Amino acid sequence: MSVGFIGAGQLAHALVKGFTAAGVIATHKIMASSPDTELPTVSGLRKMGVNFTTSNKETANRSDVLFLAVKPHIIPFVLDEIGPDIQDRHLIVSCAAGVTISSIEKKLVQYRPAPRVMRCMTNTPVVVREGATVYAVGTHAEAEDGRLLEQLMASVGFCTEVEEDLIDAVTGLSGSGPAYAFTALDALADGGVKMGLPRRLAVRLGAQALLGAAKMLLDSEQHPGQLKDNVCSPGGATIHALHFLESGGFRSLLINAVEASCIRTRELQSLADQESISPAAIKKTTLDKVLQQPGVAAAGGPKAAVSLFNKSNPGRKRN
Amino acid sequence: MEPSEVKIGFIGAGNMAFGITKGILLSGGVLPRNVTVSAPSSNNLGRFQELGAAVTHSNTDAVAASRLIFLAVKPHLVPAILREVAPHVTREHVVVSVAAGVTIATLEELLPPESVVLRLMPNLPCMVQEGALLFSRGSRAGPGEGALLKTLLGPCGLVEEGPESWIDAHTGLSGSGVAFVYLFAEALADGGVKMGMPSALAQRIAAQTVLGAGRLLRDSGRHPAQLRSDVCTPGGTTIYGLHALELGGLRAAVMGAVEAATERARELGRK
Repeated sequence: MSVGFIGAGQLAHALVKGFTAAGVIATHKIMASSPDTELPTVSGLRKMGVNFTTSNKETANRSDVLFLAVKPHIIPFVLDEIGPDIQDRHLIVSCAAGVTISSIEKKLVQYRPAPRVMRCMTNTPVVVREGATVYAVGTHAEAEDGRLLEQLMASVGFCTEVEEDLIDAVTGLSGSGPAYAFTALDALADGGVKMGLPRRLAVRLGAQALLGAAKMLLDSEQHPGQLKDNVCSPGGATIHALHFLESGGFRSLLINAVEASCIRTRELQSLADQESISPAAIKKTTLDKVLQQPGVAAAGGPKAAVSLFNKSNPGRKRN
Repeated sequence: MEPSEVKIGFIGAGNMAFGITKGILLSGGVLPRNVTVSAPSSNNLGRFQELGAAVTHSNTDAVAASRLIFLAVKPHLVPAILREVAPHVTREHVVVSVAAGVTIATLEELLPPESVVLRLMPNLPCMVQEGALLFSRGSRAGPGEGALLKTLLGPCGLVEEGPESWIDAHTGLSGSGVAFVYLFAEALADGGVKMGMPSALAQRIAAQTVLGAGRLLRDSGRHPAQLRSDVCTPGGTTIYGLHALELGGLRAAVMGAVEAATERARELGRK
């Protein structure tokens, strides 16, 4: 089985690193493509032994499982580009936040009657095989497609299937989650430094504390509230500290953060669905290189506003 | 001493004394004729008489008629009362003070040496036999007296023993805590009124909600966080409401309330 990545950025790099560490696939069976060869992740991928190309079409042709690991607003270009190259064997897995399965299927059915599409939301800790991934299966995906994806993603962390309408909430929680954790860790380290610890030690200890706590919770049947109680001796240091956290609205801040990320994901998706995005909004090199590929043409030429999901020209022909 | 035979006296006939008396008598564990209540005025004595207890205006008579004496007067009256009854207090007596802020040291100082003293902090719902009571033993009170008190007071609600240092915290948490719950219930009702319910109905529903939740919490043996999670269906009404509570910093406010009440209890105890 060959795996391809359209896009050679952070996500592709993290997934490849995780997959190879897990040993689920050999790097020579992985291909990644990007029009931009200057990305630092590109050299990282090359160093890992991944086949790199600037041609998305080549990646599509050489892969069985095709991950779409580009920014959400690039997805439609990519789909137009590789559409003609999609075969029955292909399993398309989109990792783009906010991009619905139905929007991808709508694009691809122009080229193939029953494209097998799945959508996943993962997160950066796949790079250390502690990712959190959910996936939803599309109309034509088969049960074994889900199992295959789950096997792949389970090798780099936790993976489970969900209904597609939950994916935005997952984005808010575990997609963005590592950023919340990094922020918390930075601040915890500041606290340690304020109280006299050297920075490196403070960072190390803070990270270990959160890692350990998370592990305890995952291994335990108990509610986190109960685990919290277990740490708080009466009148002790921890309960005093917790009171500060509560006074600062710690819990509500975290609830707000998850909510904001989820809502923004939905917003971005609906912006994408409804509006045109001008080429200026897209990195120029990317657009130029995509348009240079044989078989790709934008409606009305490269300078005009491009309608992302082709709603006005459902039957537009390709050469 | 068998609980059924012990003679019990109350100095003071206020709500706390009444709540404890009711609990003790309703369970049938103590005979009414073995209970003597003393108060300077007759105002409050009627309800004790209705229960079958003996009443008097003489504190020393109540002491003489009893072995277990509850000191249930306002804290500022304690020194005078103890000076009055001290000559009649023997080594056979067990004195249980219910006065807030009066330490065991103070009690032992004002009573004859070798007196057996315990300090009890009940709370208002003793009146309906749903109290939370914490007691602490003085230097001469042994485990036997502790066990006796626990058995006797069992019908009044939850009875626990602890070191004296916990009593102020108990005051803050549970003594004053009752008022915090009333405040919460009132606010629940106000919320109901805001959303269109008549206030009398909203208040009755709020009260029942607090009661029902309290019973489930007490009887389930599960952590409140777990019970809370169980009520929160994904994307449902409860989680939305809880978010508003967290935004309002309810947890910190409640912790602060218990802290403030406890600190005040400590302060009062030092005076």
